[in-house]
Amino acid sequence: MRKTVAFVGAAVLTATVAACGGGGGAAGGDSTLTLGESVTATPWDLADASIGPEAQYYQPVYDTLIRLDTKGKATPNLATSWSYDKSRTTLTLKLREGIKFTDGTAVDADAVKKSLTHTRSGSGTAAGQIQDISGVDVVDEHTVAIRLSHPSASLVPALGQVSGMIASPKALDDPKTPVGSGPYRLDTAATTVGTTYTYTRNADYWNAKAFPYDTIVIKYLSDQTARNNALMSGQLDGATLNLNRVKTVKSRGLNVQTYQPGDIEGLYIWDRAGKIVPALGKLKVRQALNHAFDKKAIIKASKTGLGTPTAQLFAKNEEGYAADLDDTYSYDPDKARKLLAEAGYPNGFSVTIPDMSSIFPQEQAALTQSLKDIGIKVTLDNLPSNQIFSSLLAGKYAMSYFKLGATTSWDKVQLQLPKNSTWNPFKYDDPKVDGLLTRIGEASDDDQRAELFQKLNTYVVDQAWNAPWNVMVNAYATAKDVKVTPQPGAQYPPIYNFEPAAG
Amino acid sequence: MLVFLFRRIAAGAVLVVVVATATFLMLSLTGTDVARNILGETATRDAVTAKSQELGLDQPLAERYWHWVQHAVQGDLGTSWFTGDSVNQSLTDTLPVTLSVVLAGLLIAAVLSVLLGTAAALRGGWVDRLVQIGAVLGTAVPSFLIALVLAVTLAVRLGWLPATGYVAMDVSGIDWLRSITLPAVSLAVGATAATAMQVRGALVDVLRADFVRTLRSRGLNTRSVVFRHALRNAAPPALTVLALQFIGLIGGAVVVEKVFGLPGIGTLANSAAVRGDAPVLLGTVVVTVVIVVAVNLLLDIAYGWLNPKVRVS
Repeated sequence: MRKTVAFVGAAVLTATVAACGGGGGAAGGDSTLTLGESVTATPWDLADASIGPEAQYYQPVYDTLIRLDTKGKATPNLATSWSYDKSRTTLTLKLREGIKFTDGTAVDADAVKKSLTHTRSGSGTAAGQIQDISGVDVVDEHTVAIRLSHPSASLVPALGQVSGMIASPKALDDPKTPVGSGPYRLDTAATTVGTTYTYTRNADYWNAKAFPYDTIVIKYLSDQTARNNALMSGQLDGATLNLNRVKTVKSRGLNVQTYQPGDIEGLYIWDRAGKIVPALGKLKVRQALNHAFDKKAIIKASKTGLGTPTAQLFAKNEEGYAADLDDTYSYDPDKARKLLAEAGYPNGFSVTIPDMSSIFPQEQAALTQSLKDIGIKVTLDNLPSNQIFSSLLAGKYAMSYFKLGATTSWDKVQLQLPKNSTWNPFKYDDPKVDGLLTRIGEASDDDQRAELFQKLNTYVVDQAWNAPWNVMVNAYATAKDVKVTPQPGAQYPPIYNFEPAAG
Repeated sequence: MLVFLFRRIAAGAVLVVVVATATFLMLSLTGTDVARNILGETATRDAVTAKSQELGLDQPLAERYWHWVQHAVQGDLGTSWFTGDSVNQSLTDTLPVTLSVVLAGLLIAAVLSVLLGTAAALRGGWVDRLVQIGAVLGTAVPSFLIALVLAVTLAVRLGWLPATGYVAMDVSGIDWLRSITLPAVSLAVGATAATAMQVRGALVDVLRADFVRTLRSRGLNTRSVVFRHALRNAAPPALTVLALQFIGLIGGAVVVEKVFGLPGIGTLANSAAVRGDAPVLLGTVVVTVVIVVAVNLLLDIAYGWLNPKVRVS
């Protein structure tokens, strides 16, 4: 008897395997868009929201005041128009009329005020982006005025991202489920928190034709292999891709988009004043470091050739980018050694850097080798990968491999240049940079601001604050029948940039 | 028997407390700046300080531990630092996934190992050698490699089964079975190899025993001797190995869940460990230890019931 049971069990298993042959849940051709995410969702409470790849979880539900288009330009959305006052510290926005949250509450000036103030009060990265807001005033039912503590070039772009998302006042404090005025609403019955999120159309959405899909499903898959397998077997319509998988996935006939989210990687020199490694306080030494890297070879080895050699702060589509700056420092180890000698270090110097080979093996190897080639003695310090941030921020290392990006040029410089910025761990201060930053914040027209950004960029490159080598490239794969347009400043393409492929 | 049970349960409880405390201490002493990891590299210093206070990280270690214990004994394991999800809910969501895969893997291993072990013991010769070679290979090849090969060939190339994802049993029984088949098979290979050898060895011993010779001399046919009598006597050692395999499979599930994108407890523990999400990690550790203790307890009871001598010692 026992034998029979066992055989039946085995037979059932085999039968199922055979019977269900031929494709599982392929998402092609219908009106469902299924995306894979490499990060888990952050809480629905916008005060705790993150602004990176996590944004995709929020985009279906929460509409933003402003919509950034595929070039990163601000266009009307919940706000139909906006303008600054003369001092550039008050931004007045006109709101679209007749819009309602999915709980029936009106999207009016009161709701916008409550939502923005609530987000700002939190400690998430979305809150961090709008810390310059000192208050929000209700001018009339459809007009709000946002006051700033000082002029900021990043407010308008921030209102086009998670920081500018508006949640219903009724669900602000403890949103078990998100309530917004976006194109979709969360289908809680078809959602498993932390794994699969399903969104269905909000029938009352004002701009429904901008969203071609009836249903959006976002699946969290932490593992790159799992994401690739899901993509290639048709379980996903879109997911990020490791650069070393681009060829394989393309050869399978899937669409692959590469784009620059704006992250700059390379050797970051933290101790520019030479506090713990005196050599780094000398300009010639920092310039020598810039001549040490064979950027093309490094990009080829570590990024399968996908990337752009760089020497500057900004990527191509960012404000302040200047193409000619990239030629400032050529790969020239002889010149590097000569510069070191001129600076008084003919035999190089010693430096301890964190060993990041557990997360960036090729990058770390390239860095170490290039430094050794110009006579610098490198000691690698081993530390767990989740302690790298805190050790760097604590000023433990004079320099290291790093990559840094931000949604706008303004955010990017605010993050690393001023004395008290986060990624200036040694609090290096330069009055010339401070002066330029103040003028950029106050600049009223775009051309003037772009020119000032270029000036700042040129100065920082000449002073060799860092030795960047690559403008990083991200790859995003989509199914054959799905087209996506990436967006500058966004790590993952926003959901409104997905559409069925023609033909 | 009651005293015996009570002693085992008490020992299990002590183990849970020790492991939980050790995990808590290790998590607290690594010096990771959790608040910075939560908020990312673009967050300001003030935001990081605020987050630290919000999580209570500025309080003394002993106080934080006591706070956690107080809630844990009431069945509340806290909320994730990163997602704000309740740890209890996360465990309720992930545990069925892991148990489905592990139990299915165990079932496959049990069936296959009895078939293979019996065949090897009875037939001998090339069948025996083939099974033995297979067993060595099955033990040597890590389950993640098997998982990768299965995923790429059967799921991606041939499309017979889903490459990733889990479907709950109450949503669709057949999809549930489809979603756990490949992961379960990946896990089953190693367990089958180990158990099949155990069955083979035990059966060979039993078949040499006096009572088998007696049965044979009475004219019973081989099938009846093997399936009615010999296998029953060879079962206990095989069961022990299988029970031990269960604990091993929970460990192996971490990797297999990753390859198949299954939202199981292994994936949960893994991402919590990488990020330093202490409440989630503590929760998964406690639950896993409780399961292991429970399985051992059941095994002990089974033995105690079968063999009264165990109860006394």
